[in-house]
Amino acid sequence: MGASVDLFSAASAEGAWTVGEVTKRARAVIEAGLPPLWVRGEIAGFKAWRSGHWYFSLRDKAAQIRCAMFAKQNFRLPPPTDGMQVFVFARPSIYEEKGDFQLTVLELLSTDQGGLWKLAFEKAKAALTKDGLLDPARKRRLPLFPRRIAVVTSPDGAVLRDIQAVVGRRWPLAELIVVPAQVQGAKAEASVCSALNRIRRLPVDVLIVGRGGGSIEDLWAFNTERVARAVAAMPMPVISAIGHETDVTLCDLVADLRAPTPSAAAEAATPDRSEIRQACDALGQRLARALRTASRHVVERLNRTSDRLTRCMEYRLEKSGARLTAHGARLDALSPLKVLARGYAVARDQQGAVLKSVGQLPPGKEFRLRVTDGEVDARVR
Amino acid sequence: MPGFGEQMERLEAIVRKLEAEDLDLDEALKLFEEGVERLRVAREQLAQAELKVKKVLEIESR
Repeated sequence: MGASVDLFSAASAEGAWTVGEVTKRARAVIEAGLPPLWVRGEIAGFKAWRSGHWYFSLRDKAAQIRCAMFAKQNFRLPPPTDGMQVFVFARPSIYEEKGDFQLTVLELLSTDQGGLWKLAFEKAKAALTKDGLLDPARKRRLPLFPRRIAVVTSPDGAVLRDIQAVVGRRWPLAELIVVPAQVQGAKAEASVCSALNRIRRLPVDVLIVGRGGGSIEDLWAFNTERVARAVAAMPMPVISAIGHETDVTLCDLVADLRAPTPSAAAEAATPDRSEIRQACDALGQRLARALRTASRHVVERLNRTSDRLTRCMEYRLEKSGARLTAHGARLDALSPLKVLARGYAVARDQQGAVLKSVGQLPPGKEFRLRVTDGEVDARVR
Repeated sequence: MPGFGEQMERLEAIVRKLEAEDLDLDEALKLFEEGVERLRVAREQLAQAELKVKKVLEIESR
């Protein structure tokens, strides 16, 4: 059949083609004559549908072509913007329902600023920076002794095995909570976000988001603003082990710590059991030493207290002694003996009662008379 | 049971208090006993050999 169309057979009304027939034929002619090819042009009228399909025009100064890029081809790509210079690898065809000549785009490369990836990355990064999510001051410290460590990763990859091995060796006291997610492919972005959402409600001390290597396209979910914001909003510290040394993802940037590998993430998340054992031993020794010191202190204090008590008593006694002497002197001055020394005498009866009046001394009464140097018996005449 | 972190924190606080303060013997002994007990529990926890791994789906279905 090819391109040889017999125009004359279609010249009469009887032989008229239907619209469907002619578009179908045109499509066949174009698809046969123009195999998939690279086309260069500028994006115009870009529109992404809910279905995930993209529609736009590719144009230059002379012409434009309608383009369609379906979800299964574009899911790894950040959407381009109008005015962007791109290369597309596309299959020229006719969209029969509309009779449009169009390119079905299989691949799309941007020539601006290092390509679409770079552009989308920088755009999202700028948005995150503006909201302060990349501020180093936001980075939280990891818990010293995590009780629960959550891991978002593909459930049956080497990543999980590596993390499990490291945590099991270093800190098996922890519980590992694995939240499976699709980390690459069309559903990765939604899957990672929903895994993060689930963890948000769990009592988890630290979270590891991990995947092992892959091309920048494979990492793309971790470069989306949505995943980056979800990571930044996690209530617990997050360790990101996504990219390699050369490919830093947005997820790495917003995380509290970036680890080069999932094993390194697991090491960062856990203390070393043998080190902690040694720390326990050291604490035990300090505890014993401290008790010895404390009891020595108590003894010393007791001694000090008893010294003070003694000193205090001595002082008191001394003071009392002095007072006694003073009192003694005063007593001495008042002493009747002093009076007697001056020549007075005291008369007392046999019982010792002092006889002070004449009435107490009838004639013949015997009594004793005390003078300064002794006593004599006496009688009233 | 308190977590390992709280255990260690309390232990360190006990040791510091014992080291730094002039305590009466009763209080010192009490702290010492608590410290010894916490050390015992901590060492027991450290001896636990097996890592528990849970898939989040299992947690949810429980």
